[in-house]
Amino acid sequence: MELAKNLQTTINRSYGKTDLYVDLAQSISGVLLIGFLWMHMLFVATIVVSPELFNTLSEGLDRYYLAQVGIPATILLIIVHIFLALRRAPVRLRDMRITYRMAKMMNHYDTWVWVGQVVSALFVGVMASIHLWIILGAWPLRAATSAARVASTGPADATWGAFTFPFFIVFYVIFLIAGEYHGGFGLYRILVKWGWWERHTMGWVLKGITVIIVGLGIAALYTFTQIAASLPAGGVIH
Amino acid sequence: MGRQLTISCFRYNPNIPGDKPRMQDYKLEEYEGMTLFVALNDIREKLDPTLMFDFVCRAAICGSCAMLINGRPRLACKTMTRTLPSRFTVMPLPVFKLIGDLSVDTGTWFRDLQVRAEAWIHTNKKFDFNALEVRMDNKIAEDIYDPEQCIECGCCVANCITANIRPDFIGSTGINRLYRFLIDPRDERTDAEYYEVIGNEDGTFGCVGLMACDDMCPKEIPLQENLAYVRRKMAAAGLKLTFQGVKIS
Ligand code: HEM
Ligand code: FES
Repeated sequence: MELAKNLQTTINRSYGKTDLYVDLAQSISGVLLIGFLWMHMLFVATIVVSPELFNTLSEGLDRYYLAQVGIPATILLIIVHIFLALRRAPVRLRDMRITYRMAKMMNHYDTWVWVGQVVSALFVGVMASIHLWIILGAWPLRAATSAARVASTGPADATWGAFTFPFFIVFYVIFLIAGEYHGGFGLYRILVKWGWWERHTMGWVLKGITVIIVGLGIAALYTFTQIAASLPAGGVIH
Repeated sequence: MGRQLTISCFRYNPNIPGDKPRMQDYKLEEYEGMTLFVALNDIREKLDPTLMFDFVCRAAICGSCAMLINGRPRLACKTMTRTLPSRFTVMPLPVFKLIGDLSVDTGTWFRDLQVRAEAWIHTNKKFDFNALEVRMDNKIAEDIYDPEQCIECGCCVANCITANIRPDFIGSTGINRLYRFLIDPRDERTDAEYYEVIGNEDGTFGCVGLMACDDMCPKEIPLQENLAYVRRKMAAAGLKLTFQGVKIS
């Protein structure tokens, strides 16, 4: 930094409020998304209680247009969030190199976690798009359709060597962990930046919540596979 | 007999044409109560008079001996060698201009920061040197003492990814500096005036919350608390001002 450049440009620069609004909006988008994600996982986990409860909830969301409004709103929110949060990510090669080197050299926990947040964000971005594409392609969402999807294997096609692989379950487990990691530590960071709480205690609380939610997600996936196994072969779903 | 220490030092003198950055090993014997500051002086005295590094106070007060010790920014004079493995590395702090070997120029960076952050008491009161000094409330004095402990060693700048990739970011030390004036009743600046100085991406809103500063501050200043306070305060100032129709930009 040269003193002269900064004396002339920085002191006399008028910032206005854009930086504040953008920073605030980023944190708000983060809070809303993590709120959505946790609620979403609780809703999905109703399958563990009973498929009827899952269906009642799902039908309710459709009947009162909560799904029809909620899903586009969430998609919009994710897009906004990507625009806001990506300004903070090291996007230039030079910045990536510095980030990786510093993290490795210092071996500092919170810095590594942030690197993980940025990497998991890429997974979440790609996987959320695939996830949305698939569920919206087989609307409406009911216990049986979800179970059949989660348990489906592929490609079992002769031209592909007739092998089968449970792509969906692998996809969902990775998606679940990446999403919870990104969101859970994201909330941690928001609270560190704005909050009053001592961050180590707060970090453990959030890790606890994250482990519970991941557990619920795994339980829901397992329940889906069990339901799928009890469905009539050929996938007559209802 | 103490341990045999191997200190792997970064060597590079930008003033010698053709000099190349490299690591050089120095072996020396450790003794009771040895700090890295003592070890480096031993090296310079007995092994290599050309090794460059800075120190003044050797008591964690002046902030000149900060360097990367096994990859983490710390004060050499506050680091006991017995807390380190028998082989370790020392390198100069990143971000700051390299003078040579372990020596960096933190002065220019901090001078620039003080100017940008307007790090001095702003008051319209005329100073009367015959009058008794106004007494300060003990609670406030103690509150100010905390951020005021900063010795400008540069550790929190060096370990901050944001400061490393964005040269205009004022860093944890800069925000903490402003915090010190924010809570000082003698400074008559309004929140809007503070906002103008740090209510931006180069200031408080540029912090990503990586907290390496909080974890590694040699003076153990509660940076998480101080930074969050400034962020809330500046957000409130920014939002409220719109509300009252006052323009700050
Ligand atoms: C359900 C999906 C998502 C949730 C729940 C979520 C949640 C969060 C939260 C809570 C934060 C912290 C925000 C802050 O510090 O102010 C964050 C940061 C971040 N998010 Fe997301 N996010 C999601 C999807 C994405 C996607 C798809 C991307 C990009 C491809 C992304 C990129 C980022 C980045 C780069 C950060 C770091 C920003 C920073 O540290 O300042 N996120 N996210
Ligand atoms: S020599 Fe002064 S802080 Fe280390």
